[in-house]
Amino acid sequence: MTARMLPKNRIEEFVGRLLEQAEVVAPRRVEVGDVFYGAVASAEEVAWDYGHAVEPLKRFLLPQRETMLRYSTGDKVRVEAELDEQERVFLGIRCCDVTGIGVLDAMFGGDTPDPYYMSRRERSTVIALTCLQAPDETCFCVCCDAGPFLAKGYDQQWTSLPEGMLVEVGSERGEALVRSNDDLFDEASVDQVAARYRLAREAEQTFGDFKSYIAGAMSKLSMNEVDPKVWEQAALRCMECGGCTYLCPTCSCFTVTDRMEDSSGVRERHWDACLYSCYAREASGHNPRPEREDRLRARFFHKISYQWAQRNGRQACVGCGRCVVGCMAWAHMPAITEGIRRGVMT
Amino acid sequence: MAELATVCPFCGCGCGLYLHVIDDVVVGVSPSRAHPISQGRLCVKGWHAHEMVDNPQRLTHPLVRRGDELVEASWEEAVEVAANGLRKVADSAGAQAIGVLGSARCTNEANYVLVRFARGTLGTPSIDCSQRIHSVPEVALNAGNSRPGLDTGQIADLDESDLILLVGSDPTEEHPAVAARVYRARQRGARVISVSTRTHPLAALADVHLPVRPGGELKLLGSILHVLLVEQGMAGDADVSGLPELRASVADLPPEETQAATSVPAEAVREAALLYASSKRATVVYSTGLALSLHASAAAQSLENLAALGASGAGPKATVLGLLSRNNLQGCRDMGVAPDLLPGYTALGDDAAVEKLERAWRCELNRETGLASWQMMGKARAMYIMGDDITRTMPGAGVAREALASLDFLVVQDIFMSPAAAMADVVLPAAAFAEQDGTWTNLERRVQRIHRAVSPPGEAREDWRIVAGVSGAMGKPISYEDAQQIFEEIKDLLPVYAGVFYPPLAVNGGIRWPTAQPRDAGGAPAAREKIGVAAPPEDALKESAAGAETSDEYPLLMAADPTLRPWDGEVTVCHTLTAAGEFTVMDQDYPDGMLCLNPEDAKRFEVRGGRPARVVSATGEGQMQVRVTDEVPRGIALVPYNQAARSGPMEVSSQPVSGRPVLAPTPISVGPVQ
Amino acid sequence: MNNPYLPKLATIEKVKTETYDTTTFTLRLDDPEERKAFQHRPGQFVELSVFGAGEAPFCIASSGHGRDTFDLSVRKVGHVTGALHEMGEGGQVGIRGPLGNSFPFEEVAGKHILFVGGGIGLFPLRPQIQEVCREADRFAAITVLYGARTPEDLVYREELDRWQQQEGMTCLLTVDTASDGWTGNVGVVGTLLTKIEIDVSNAVAFVCGPPIMIRFVVQDLSNMGFGENAIVTTLERHMRCGIGKCNHCMIGDKWVCKDGPVFTYGQMREMTEFEE
Repeated sequence: MTARMLPKNRIEEFVGRLLEQAEVVAPRRVEVGDVFYGAVASAEEVAWDYGHAVEPLKRFLLPQRETMLRYSTGDKVRVEAELDEQERVFLGIRCCDVTGIGVLDAMFGGDTPDPYYMSRRERSTVIALTCLQAPDETCFCVCCDAGPFLAKGYDQQWTSLPEGMLVEVGSERGEALVRSNDDLFDEASVDQVAARYRLAREAEQTFGDFKSYIAGAMSKLSMNEVDPKVWEQAALRCMECGGCTYLCPTCSCFTVTDRMEDSSGVRERHWDACLYSCYAREASGHNPRPEREDRLRARFFHKISYQWAQRNGRQACVGCGRCVVGCMAWAHMPAITEGIRRGVMT
Repeated sequence: MAELATVCPFCGCGCGLYLHVIDDVVVGVSPSRAHPISQGRLCVKGWHAHEMVDNPQRLTHPLVRRGDELVEASWEEAVEVAANGLRKVADSAGAQAIGVLGSARCTNEANYVLVRFARGTLGTPSIDCSQRIHSVPEVALNAGNSRPGLDTGQIADLDESDLILLVGSDPTEEHPAVAARVYRARQRGARVISVSTRTHPLAALADVHLPVRPGGELKLLGSILHVLLVEQGMAGDADVSGLPELRASVADLPPEETQAATSVPAEAVREAALLYASSKRATVVYSTGLALSLHASAAAQSLENLAALGASGAGPKATVLGLLSRNNLQGCRDMGVAPDLLPGYTALGDDAAVEKLERAWRCELNRETGLASWQMMGKARAMYIMGDDITRTMPGAGVAREALASLDFLVVQDIFMSPAAAMADVVLPAAAFAEQDGTWTNLERRVQRIHRAVSPPGEAREDWRIVAGVSGAMGKPISYEDAQQIFEEIKDLLPVYAGVFYPPLAVNGGIRWPTAQPRDAGGAPAAREKIGVAAPPEDALKESAAGAETSDEYPLLMAADPTLRPWDGEVTVCHTLTAAGEFTVMDQDYPDGMLCLNPEDAKRFEVRGGRPARVVSATGEGQMQVRVTDEVPRGIALVPYNQAARSGPMEVSSQPVSGRPVLAPTPISVGPVQ
Repeated sequence: MNNPYLPKLATIEKVKTETYDTTTFTLRLDDPEERKAFQHRPGQFVELSVFGAGEAPFCIASSGHGRDTFDLSVRKVGHVTGALHEMGEGGQVGIRGPLGNSFPFEEVAGKHILFVGGGIGLFPLRPQIQEVCREADRFAAITVLYGARTPEDLVYREELDRWQQQEGMTCLLTVDTASDGWTGNVGVVGTLLTKIEIDVSNAVAFVCGPPIMIRFVVQDLSNMGFGENAIVTTLERHMRCGIGKCNHCMIGDKWVCKDGPVFTYGQMREMTEFEE
């Protein structure tokens, strides 16, 4: 591991330099006390001691609503695409959310890259901030290989030590950032590196009872061995709000609509949720998943089946716990995996 | 991207949410975790609230009618046409011939100014809000000052309850934020009792579910009281006025006696009553399923009786939550959008209070009792409608459309081209919730701040400014600086809002009235002195469940279920992308109405899911599309209230006391379409 | 970066009414370079933009051989198809594609090729039928079985006549409900299977139609001895992006748009969500 130290009194300077080159998106407290990732104007705005952000970073890579094309109708149609080319540094991001980006990369990259996503992604630098203790009682990243410290998936990973940030470099991009600000970074000492591993072990012990039995559920889901009763029972515990998908760092379903403004049209995409009853409904009226249990089954198969884990490089749950907070009823990831394991929903 | 805290514009729960704004456009929504109602959650409507704001179908310019067409006009011209049209009707038919509808979607400030405009400027007492028809009985709306001796409920009470009694309420469809609490209460071991015809998800998960036959609600609640008061001899320490009368009224109602009328087995009723009695802290929740039944007031009183008994030490300590369907239905009434009240529940005969308002408003007010929204139909000659969905809310096929079509003059102020706006002589484009400042009061009387996050589209304006503008054109200027100034006046003039200050955004979750202090940890307003119960009127008990007897000819009882798809057709929901998809699907799959039948009945009457069925009653017939579901008990056919209200063979009846129109359960026969 | 969401402009060359609710639109890409690059195989589909209304997927209904135009046969069912039906010759639309996989061709050379189509299920089969016919001598035999609800629902009437007359090819038609003047077979398309002779050990069946028809025909074919992988069909699902990003068409671990739309019956059975 190449590790450096960014001493406390130089963090402000470093963030200042980042701000000269890019939009810096970091955790910050908004109006009534909630924490959101958002653009900051100075290091002072960053809520270094935050627990959990209400939402993952997804909105900055895949907005809830975005313009894909603009076109003019009339005699001759003209179509133009709009790409977001803003350079961004994502600073102080929780490990689960950083891992989530990896899943999105698999979905939107591949042999047919999505230019809207990739345009943002290729211009972004990800600086993770490790969790020295479970940020929230609903966190279960420890069950998902997605925190509280990461081994990969970041450009830089910061760990807060009393004297400053221990900076691990995980990519060429992360290394370049160190190199171009060489005057701010010190070499990390052996003790400092040792502290990081001790803190990681200690942090893991602080996670609560909220466990998600993903491995067991994955095997049953992948082999199509889940008792159908579980889905029927889950259907009574889901209100189809879509919150679990919207808050999920890895859920990326979208729908596309056209809207007209006078003689010019805009093609937009919007977040969509596979739990909505009209999600798979065809124009003819045929709905391959007419019942809520069908949709729940499809959703969890996509999230944590072995088949999809293979396609995406990992299962699509990172244990951020946001579906637990955001579920209107009781059909979030830990509730469902527990139900699958026991063959009955509580 | 900036996050701006505001409140969800849909149901009465009043969840906190953030609007994401880029370049003066709302591009998304997030839930607020710090907000006491939403706690990090939003339902499907809330998650899509932004879509109705930046929407190409918004009204952007004033429109005036030229023959069959509505054409764009300047504000000056449109306001002038509106003022002249209203004046003409007032001159020829009298001011009381003008009906004014306020809105449970609009701010307190807008509704307050509208009342001033109606009773002062126009001089008509006929001001109402048709969305009120779908709300819980008035007894609950005035809750803050009409329930002596009782705590008034709030949503957070569910967190402390070990028993939740849901009566005629499917919060998963109507009040998701309440449902979320019920699910969480269940998980920590609270018991749930459900009383409703339909086995909705929370009913299916309930410890005891009583699938009551439509119309049997009052008798069923009577039997529960019978078990508690007569069989169990439940009695408290404190004096309770009216208790002997109440006990006498339920003496003849053992569950065995009411079984025929309620279709609920006696042992289930007894089980529910005993489970209730064994709990320590109960929350009683009811909403439209009870509110739109014929004897709603008496039934709601029965629930209040439970709470009163609890307060006296008999049975669990209980609070009653009457759930309101619209974001500001409570505030709309607080502001006096009612034909029989003035702002702040000021009685029309309270001369001193009325004079105080007249002095503040510098005009004389009409002090008569006006027409309720349903009475305006056919009686009013002109109407001024601010954000009301009357074509959707008024029961009876075509009643509202016909009434609007027969008006001499109609002004509609809205954010979309609603069915009423399409019929108007003048259409005034209003700002949406994300485009104006002001306050809404949620179903717990939590006064919350909404604020302007983006500019309104085109020339659209804040609701209160539009009303003030028309008033000015009629020679009675109404001038305020901004919404805050209006609120300051409300607070100063209306005793119920005394002590509530214009909440700055930092006051998360607003301030509950009545209170002199900002609400902090959800402290309920102070309890009042005397505890009392009231027996239901004798004839209500007698009439309950009568007239709905099925026969060989009409073997099924058809009822309109207001908890089923309650948002169907709602003008704002129709314009949110995902909800719109759902409603389009509803229109396509069930264009004539969704007739929900039990699988056994569907088989017996040879109709199939997704296919049309012929529906015949003694008074009419029609066609509806069938949905087969075991949520519906055998022998019952349920149709979403909104669909049944717009079409179909159900008869409109009226509730005693309130006079509100409701759809009465109707015996029908069902068969395949030949 | 290439933007796979950016439609190429195309012009409607010809509009031909097939039935009361279906129409064949012949399209030609405007840009000569794009025209040349637009190489498609039977079974593939395109995303068609009707500007102002939206985008929807349609199978390509013609063989690409020897022509620089292509056909889309469309039934009027929704918003986009409704708007398309309002357009006439010369109208401009957007095209993304060709998308998805295609029917096996070289792999089935030498075999008896059986096509079973129901209703508008003949649309995706047509390019494959055209290509198989063009190289008829490379196949043991060609049989087309086609059924529709009523005679008025039969599409490609002239082509059906030609196929019925073509040497070395059998083409049988049936309708569920006959109307005046219909003298042909009456009954579901599966009943035609009893009227043909076929050596199932050297045959492959291409089946397209409504879900219920596919289910019964696949059952019949299995009973006749067709192996799972000798039955090929195209699946329909609600699609938005057409490139495996939006997930609307996902079935189990497959995207119909990207991994399909052509699947063998054997592949479909492996899908966790597949219902027999």
